[in-house]
Amino acid sequence: MKQFLSSLFLFAAFTSGFSQDDKILQLGKTTYQSCVACHGADGKGMKAGDLLMAPSLHESAFVKGDHPDLLTAIILKGILKEDNKYVQAMLPLEAALSNEQIAAVIAYITHEYTGKRRSPTANDIEKWRKKYADQKSPWKRNDLQSLLDSAKAPRLLTDLRYSVYEGKWEELPDFSKLEPVATGTLDDGLITLAPASKIKGGFGMVFEGRLTLTEAEEYRFSLTSDDGSALAVDGETVVGNDGIHPAKTQRMKEKLEPGEHNLKVLYFDGGGQRFLSLNIRGEKLGTIWLSESQKESGSKSKSYDPILLTAHKPGEAIVHRAFLPDAKPRAIGVGYPAAVNLVWDADTLNLAYVYRGEFMDASPHWNGRGSGSKPLGQDRIKPAPGLPLQVLESLDEPWVPYSEAKIAYERDTANPTKEVTFNLRHPDYQFRGYRLDAKRFPTFRYDYRGATVTDHFTTEEIDGVQSLVRTLSFEGAAEENLYLRLADSGPLTREGDWYSLGALAIRVEGAEPVERQVNGKKELLAPVSSATTLTVTYRWNTPLAD
Amino acid sequence: MTEPCPLSFRTLSNASRRLASRSLLLGLLLPVLLSAEDPVQSDFYTITQIPAPEGVVIEGGAIELLPDRKVAVCTRRGQVWTVENAFDYPDKEAKWTLFAEYLHEPLGLAWKDGWLYAVQRPEVTRMKDEDGDGRADVFETVSDGWGISGNYHEYNFGSRFDKDGYLWAPLCLTGSFTSNTLFRGWVLRIGADGDVIPTASGVRSPGGIGFNADGDVFYTDNQGAWNGSSSLKWVKPGSFQGNPNGNIWYDYADGKAGQRPVDPPYSEKGSRTVTERENIAELIPPAVIFPHGKVGNSPTVVETDTSDGKFGPFVGQVFVGEQTHSKIHRVFLEKVNGLYQGAIFPFLEGFESGNIGVRISDDGALFTSGSNRGWGARGGKNFNFERVTWTGKVPFEVHEMRALPDGFELTFTKPVDPESATDGSFSIKAYTYIYQKAYGSPEVDHVEPKVSVASVAADGLSLRLKVEPLTRGHVHELEAKGLRSRDATPLLHPQAYYTLNEIPE
Repeated sequence: MKQFLSSLFLFAAFTSGFSQDDKILQLGKTTYQSCVACHGADGKGMKAGDLLMAPSLHESAFVKGDHPDLLTAIILKGILKEDNKYVQAMLPLEAALSNEQIAAVIAYITHEYTGKRRSPTANDIEKWRKKYADQKSPWKRNDLQSLLDSAKAPRLLTDLRYSVYEGKWEELPDFSKLEPVATGTLDDGLITLAPASKIKGGFGMVFEGRLTLTEAEEYRFSLTSDDGSALAVDGETVVGNDGIHPAKTQRMKEKLEPGEHNLKVLYFDGGGQRFLSLNIRGEKLGTIWLSESQKESGSKSKSYDPILLTAHKPGEAIVHRAFLPDAKPRAIGVGYPAAVNLVWDADTLNLAYVYRGEFMDASPHWNGRGSGSKPLGQDRIKPAPGLPLQVLESLDEPWVPYSEAKIAYERDTANPTKEVTFNLRHPDYQFRGYRLDAKRFPTFRYDYRGATVTDHFTTEEIDGVQSLVRTLSFEGAAEENLYLRLADSGPLTREGDWYSLGALAIRVEGAEPVERQVNGKKELLAPVSSATTLTVTYRWNTPLAD
Repeated sequence: MTEPCPLSFRTLSNASRRLASRSLLLGLLLPVLLSAEDPVQSDFYTITQIPAPEGVVIEGGAIELLPDRKVAVCTRRGQVWTVENAFDYPDKEAKWTLFAEYLHEPLGLAWKDGWLYAVQRPEVTRMKDEDGDGRADVFETVSDGWGISGNYHEYNFGSRFDKDGYLWAPLCLTGSFTSNTLFRGWVLRIGADGDVIPTASGVRSPGGIGFNADGDVFYTDNQGAWNGSSSLKWVKPGSFQGNPNGNIWYDYADGKAGQRPVDPPYSEKGSRTVTERENIAELIPPAVIFPHGKVGNSPTVVETDTSDGKFGPFVGQVFVGEQTHSKIHRVFLEKVNGLYQGAIFPFLEGFESGNIGVRISDDGALFTSGSNRGWGARGGKNFNFERVTWTGKVPFEVHEMRALPDGFELTFTKPVDPESATDGSFSIKAYTYIYQKAYGSPEVDHVEPKVSVASVAADGLSLRLKVEPLTRGHVHELEAKGLRSRDATPLLHPQAYYTLNEIPE
């Protein structure tokens, strides 16, 4: 690299057409000669075959971006080569260029290629060198993008106050019992350990401010610290990262309403490295840093280690109750031997979907506050989700799969009146639970208008494919024109006994299925009378791929 | 067996410094420095950690006692374990049996007529082992007569069964400020036959529920919107507990909980509970406020000492779990003008994780289990299963704190030294909290009444304090630092926090 740089410096004597009074742009142009080998003398990127050595500076979001020190950060630390988009990595130039040179080259690049000149001072560059002193490796583009995003974002934290405490701890103390040695405000709304920079030994800090959000959504807080820290929102600890440890990132999701929230960060350093950063991410918000330091620890806890659910004994099923995707909240996952699985929905009293392969990762459910488990595997098919039974006066009558109601109420948040749609259990149905057989296979049971329905599944190899065989029994008086809905998706073309749902076919025994089309959608129904027992087989078209 | 390490070390000899563990380091921070002879918690109560089987995560949600001296504990991961020899560990090895698993975060357990009932997020389930292999195989849905929307915040807790055959289930709001589905923010009574009686609205974020000695039902509610501080609340049927977000569901309650109360003021400046009681007939003030940060941050289950003296001198009093501070509080309750009120006293501390379930046996073994997942806890461990037993020594404590027309009567577990019962030994600060839509509240409306000793009983077991003025609706925070017992020891816990909803006549 040294050789590379010194060869570039041969261009240092290059002159230009700037007026003599703009010495900064002059110096900038001279300094830019360090860059032309890759970015080109015109800033459009030097061609190397079909590729460019480095991106054009004319179109670069980083160059155009409205971030005070992003360009300095890039020049100091460089950018990693993460793919083959460009031939070269961007080299770190922190040792090669002086503060004056960096200030000047930024002025030159922005003046020449964006028309909107930036004029940082050498003092600014010196300050930013310190800010990024902990950054030991070149940037990843994603990290730069989030720095840029956070600069664009509105200030989320206001009225930010800090207190500094002195002491030696191995975990977060109860700061409310301690006297701070210093207090103050952070007017730029960014959490920083700078107010404690003069303290040599162990110390703690408490930050408290107002977090203003405009959207109701699930936010992910990401708290990184060396040593311990904790984040509380509205008085409840959201992220715990306590204890003595190297920089470690802990993340937690939290659904928050629009409006103002109290945000509190507790931190202590037991000696050695000190570090604290915090960001918030939301789907609509993007990632916003709430701290001066804007780094997460790379290696740890990006996501939870998977917790794969396995049966206690070979041949047994697993019955797992958790929030599961694509089902109402009263979901029940069942993992059968031979790698076929299903989700049964105790809100709609029906099979929600079948799938196969690995059953379930419980790690999101069993970490943090528990957002629900994650069905794994593949070939997920939803034959006919929603309520299973309906009396149809005519076959043109549409199916009503969900029982919902609306209610209006006054809220104590920014939006004073709101109509809420909620899931109201259908008065015709009552879930009665399940019974496990010797293999722990469940038989679900529910009441429907005084009749009792049981719903049981077992596994069977059919045509070389592990399949699910469902037995639905209806006991009790059935009204006329009562139907059970078996399928509402897929082409529902018939081949022999089998109806195709795409990747899976079903076969119905015990009643003659009724095909119909309502609102342009095909459905497969089975008429139900007193003491009907249906056997429904769900067979994928191909064996499970390895 | 590991000797527990109490957090509040008062004795700081060099020797104990050398023995300092992590917990002791914390203890060093507590600004309490008394003489070397002062008693400590471990003189009176022994905490024994009962280790879980290797690799098992016992994030306890509730504990129940089963026949044959088995203890059942359900976990936030949805397991239900039965433990044999939990009373006798470490003398006998604890034997753990997995009764059920993969339930949805059960936080209530009740044994009745051969069934084990679990209150989980989606439903109340009763379980039985029919084939006798130790694992439940029948899971009957007793009731699912409320909504869940899929938000983690919608926790459900459950009491044991009352004398009428109902268990009481407080249902947490959808979020801090929302009730997005049926009966979130309510207490329901659920019969063993599935009958559901909507019983009270106004709940925010409960942490547990249980009975007092008279069989009345109390739950804890955590600081937040319309809750200036966490508190113990009396679930009087038909009452409104203060948070109006769930009041939209009165139309679905078939009149069983009475009329929908009028809304409390949504104004920015808020109000006071004592004021709004005049406007909202159904509003019941918290029986005992747990001043936030001072006594704890997250109260949980409510459990009455039914041990008839085998757990020490606090028979009939109410114990309340505390998750954040890893503690168990003690509460004295009395009824004045038809309302419950009383005092909270610091009691046990130094548990290994955040206590959620607490259960005491008739022979004086108190079990606790909890977790720090999602909400940190001082104990530092991710979960705990611990047993507390009484050593037989009586700590010098304020036993009861009763309201009088002009002050308070204190009773003690041991006779006081009348010489130490001077005016200067006592101080009271009174304050309340804003009743408001915003989250929590600072302590407000401070009053510093004059406290004097009116009389000391001849047996030294009680004394009367004259307090001028008493403030209706205020927490009266008592500190009795100067008081000594006849054997010259200070109170193990000199603080008490009395919530004066009513001043007796």
